[in-house]
Amino acid sequence: MAGASPHPAAKGGKKALDAELNLVPFIDLLSCCISFLLITAVWTQIAGLQVASSGGPPEPQQNQEATIDLKLLLTEKGYSITMPGAQVDIPKIASADGQPAFDRKTLGEKLRTLKSTLPDQTAITVEPEDAVAYDDLVSTVDACLGEQLRNVTVAPLN
Amino acid sequence: MAIQAPGKRPGARLEHSKVFGKKFVRAKKLGYASLMLTSLVDMFTIIVIFLLMNFSANGEVLYMSKDIKLPDAFHGAQLERAPVISVSNDAVTFDGRQVANTSDLTKGDLLNVPALEDALRDERRRFEQIHQNEPDRPFRGLVNVQADRRIAFRVIKRVMFACNQSGFGNINFAALAKGSAPKDKKVALK
Repeated sequence: MAGASPHPAAKGGKKALDAELNLVPFIDLLSCCISFLLITAVWTQIAGLQVASSGGPPEPQQNQEATIDLKLLLTEKGYSITMPGAQVDIPKIASADGQPAFDRKTLGEKLRTLKSTLPDQTAITVEPEDAVAYDDLVSTVDACLGEQLRNVTVAPLN
Repeated sequence: MAIQAPGKRPGARLEHSKVFGKKFVRAKKLGYASLMLTSLVDMFTIIVIFLLMNFSANGEVLYMSKDIKLPDAFHGAQLERAPVISVSNDAVTFDGRQVANTSDLTKGDLLNVPALEDALRDERRRFEQIHQNEPDRPFRGLVNVQADRRIAFRVIKRVMFACNQSGFGNINFAALAKGSAPKDKKVALK
């Protein structure tokens, strides 16, 4: 039994070397810890994607010469990356349920290529149409942040 | 033959012997049963370690609602405590108080949401009054927007417009953290 009482003296008056730990207060402490941690536990990890809205103050660019005015449009046809003198369209693809969905994989590849060409570019303006769902907006902003385009501005397309 | 309990059974003469009889006398069982607490302590320790590893000192930043299903994000940062605007299919709420109906925000060409703007201005005024003697804590205009994944951007843009009009320029879109989102990195403030 777990207890603090010492063993009776062994034969010949020799004290036993083994001692039992009193585990009861330790178990009490652990029970309190478990109760506290279970009550205060946060099981869902929430992430925040910081964006600036179009009316806010412009984000200062580190090197104006090495950056361009980059826009990412979300339309009913798909993504459209526009920059001075060029435009790249990424049409929607069929999702698992057969509905047309934004092609996030291709978007990530295009942004990666762009970022390798312009390593100082950190700003991008995401312009969704009114009908675009919050899910698509968040995943697009997430893709931009994943490609180190940290200064994301969200502005309405129309 | 009668059924006997297992164990040594002495003969009748040996059982009554003063010398050998004691060996076969069965002692009374004690009323106390010793518990093996070591495995219990091991299990408790493992549970405490697991819970400590998942412990978040920030607590709940958002009010999680059944009506709002958040989208997933892989590159989000940790949310800071700030006023929360929740947009469900039915209502737009500011810190738990309903300020508008979502269906109303889908109609019309106007962008402003007067009730939300008033609530945000009140919040800003309250913050500035509380922290007026703390120059190291300026108003940063941080607001968390938590919307259902199916909400259209036409509603979100009106919420963003209201935030902008009230001086809340730092908007954080809330999402469920997936993958290897850095835990220690907080949302960078401008």
